[in-house]
Amino acid sequence: MGNRESILCVELRNVVKRFPGVTAVDHVSLKVEQGKVFSLLGPSGCGKTTALRLVAGLETLDEGDVLIDGKVINDVPPYYRDCSTVFQTLALFPHMTVEGNIAYGLERRKVPKDEIGKRVGKMLELMELGGMEKRRPTQLSGGQRQRVALARSLVLNPKILLLDEPLASLDRKLRKEMQVELKRIQREVGITFLYVTHDQKVALSISDIIAVMRAGKLEQIGIPNEIYETPRTKFIADFMGAINIFSGKIIASGDGKVQLETESGSRVIAPENKDIRSEEVTGISIHPELVELLPVEAGLEGDNRFRGKIVEMIYQGDFIETKISLDQTGEPITAYLSSIQDRESQFSPGEEVLVHWSLESSNILLD
Amino acid sequence: MRSWKITPKVLPTLVTLFYTFLWAPAIVLIVLSFSNNKYGIKWEGFTLRWYAHIYNNVGVRNALTSSLFIASVTVVVATIAGTLAAYGLYKYKFRGRKFLRTSILLPITIPYIVTAGALLVFYTQVIHIPLGYPGIIIAHISFSVPLAVFVVLGRMARIDWTLEEASTDLGGDRLTTWRKITLPLLLPAILASAALIFPWSFNDFTITYFVAGLGTTTLPIYVFSQLQYGTSGPVINTIGTIFITLPFITLLLMNFLQKKEVT
Repeated sequence: MGNRESILCVELRNVVKRFPGVTAVDHVSLKVEQGKVFSLLGPSGCGKTTALRLVAGLETLDEGDVLIDGKVINDVPPYYRDCSTVFQTLALFPHMTVEGNIAYGLERRKVPKDEIGKRVGKMLELMELGGMEKRRPTQLSGGQRQRVALARSLVLNPKILLLDEPLASLDRKLRKEMQVELKRIQREVGITFLYVTHDQKVALSISDIIAVMRAGKLEQIGIPNEIYETPRTKFIADFMGAINIFSGKIIASGDGKVQLETESGSRVIAPENKDIRSEEVTGISIHPELVELLPVEAGLEGDNRFRGKIVEMIYQGDFIETKISLDQTGEPITAYLSSIQDRESQFSPGEEVLVHWSLESSNILLD
Repeated sequence: MRSWKITPKVLPTLVTLFYTFLWAPAIVLIVLSFSNNKYGIKWEGFTLRWYAHIYNNVGVRNALTSSLFIASVTVVVATIAGTLAAYGLYKYKFRGRKFLRTSILLPITIPYIVTAGALLVFYTQVIHIPLGYPGIIIAHISFSVPLAVFVVLGRMARIDWTLEEASTDLGGDRLTTWRKITLPLLLPAILASAALIFPWSFNDFTITYFVAGLGTTTLPIYVFSQLQYGTSGPVINTIGTIFITLPFITLLLMNFLQKKEVT
C-alpha cells in the first residue's frame, strides 16, 4: 500500500501559459499522486482553471512539460489524452439522451456496441441514475445532471479526472451532498482527482493535498489542515478565513517560540516555524474560532491575553461573530463564539472582556 | 382608471386591424383565383378552370420549374456556405474578421435595383458569366449567403462552446465533433435560414430580371410579362396564390421540423 501511494499520475514541470497581457500560469510545478484528490485552490483569475485545461490539452503550453503517467504529453491533442474533464457548466450534450451522453466517449474509442451497453449500464447504477437513460439533460435535476457529467467521464476509466468547479452551480445543500458523493465515488473507483475550486470549504473537506494559487503562481502546497492552520502568507491566511491578521515584526525568539510586535504595539507569542526565517516574517494570523473571550477577572498572566471591549455581536446562527477592540492598542479582533459559549458567558456589547488565544493558535506569516 | 378599462378592447381591435391589412389582400387574391370572372376582379361562382389553365400552360409550368430549380440550388448551396462562413467568422481569430463580419451584411442594405444593374455590368463586361441559369444562381447564392450567415451567427452567440471542448475531451477529433455536436446544435438556425432563403430566391424579381438574359423565365418574370402585355387577370391570381402558399408551406414545415428538433 505504501508503495502504491508514491506513484505519480500527473506532473507539471515549470509550466508557463501566457495570454495577451497576462501570464495565467507562471512557472508552476506540481506532482499529483495516483488515487489522491489534489485541489487547486484560489480566487477567480488565479490561473487554476488554465492549469487544469493545460492538463486536459484544451490550452497549449508556452513553456515547461505536462506529464501523465511519466510520459510528456505536451503535443498530444485532447482527444488522445488519458484524462477526462468535468466542466463547470457540465457541458452535457443537449441533443442527446443521458445514455447517449455517457456512451459518447466509448463510441469515439470504437468500443463494441454490447460492451458500451454494459459499461453505460454499470455507470448508471453507480451514479443511481437508473430509469433516466432515455431522458434529455434538460429533463434532469441539478444533482442528476452532475452525476451524468461524472458518469460520462468515469465510464472511460481515465487515469485522472479533471474537475473544474463542478459543484459551483448547485445550491448549498445539494453542493454539500454532492461533495460527499464525489468523495465516495472517488474512493470506490480509486481514481485520481485534480480538483479546481475557489471554495476553501470544499477544498478542505474533499482534498488529500491542496495547492493554493495566486496570480498564476503556486503559493503553498500541503495537506488541508496545514493550509488551514498554518498558512504561509497573508494572502492564504485571508483566503482561508483567518480574519485576524496583523502586520508586525519578530522582536524575540527562542525555546520554540517567537514574540512578535504588531504595528500598533501589541505583543503576540507564536510558535516558531522552521520553514520561515524570522527576519522575513511580516505578520501573524489567528482564526476567529480559536479566540476565546474570558471575564476580566481571569487576569493577564500567560500568553496572548489582552483586555478589550466588545464592539459588536452579530448573530450568525451557528456562531456569534463578536468584534472586540483591544484596550491598549485599539486593534480590532474578531472571535466566533459558539452558541454554548455564548449561553454560558452571556457577554453583551460594550462589556469589558479578556481576549485570549493559545500559543498554537497564532501563526506567523510571510508577505 | 378609464384607460385601464378601455385597454382590453383597444388592443384586440388594433391587432385585428393590423392582421386584416396584413392578410386581407392575400386572402382576396386567393379567393378570386377560384372565381369564374374572366378578369379575375370579382366573385362570380367557384371554378378551378384557371388552375387547369396554368396547369396546361407550358409557359407557366416552365417558369415554375425554373423558379423551383433556382430556389432549390440556392437554398442548398447558400445555407451550407453561409453556415461554414458564420462558423469561420465566429470561431477563428484573424485580421479583418470584424470588417468581414460587418461587410457581409452590406449587400442587404443596397437597393436591389442598384445591385441588379451592377451585377449585369459585372457579368457581361467584367467576368463574362453567361446570363440565364448560371448568372441567376450565382446572384441568388451571393445574396442569400449573408442571410444564412446572419441567422447562424445569431445562434452561435447563444451556444455553450464548452460542448465542443467536452467532445474533444471525450475523444472526438475535430471532424467528429463538428458532425456530432456542432452541426446538430446549429441545425435549427440552418433550417431557419433555409426557410428565409427559399422564399427570397423564389420571389426575387429585380435581380433575376436583370441577369436572366433571354429565354430564362422564372415565375415572377412570367407574371411581370403577363401584367405588361395585359393578357389574363385570373391567371395572375392563381400564380399569386402559388407565390403565397408555397413559401408559407415551407415556413410551416420548417417551424414543425424545428419544434421536433428542440424537444
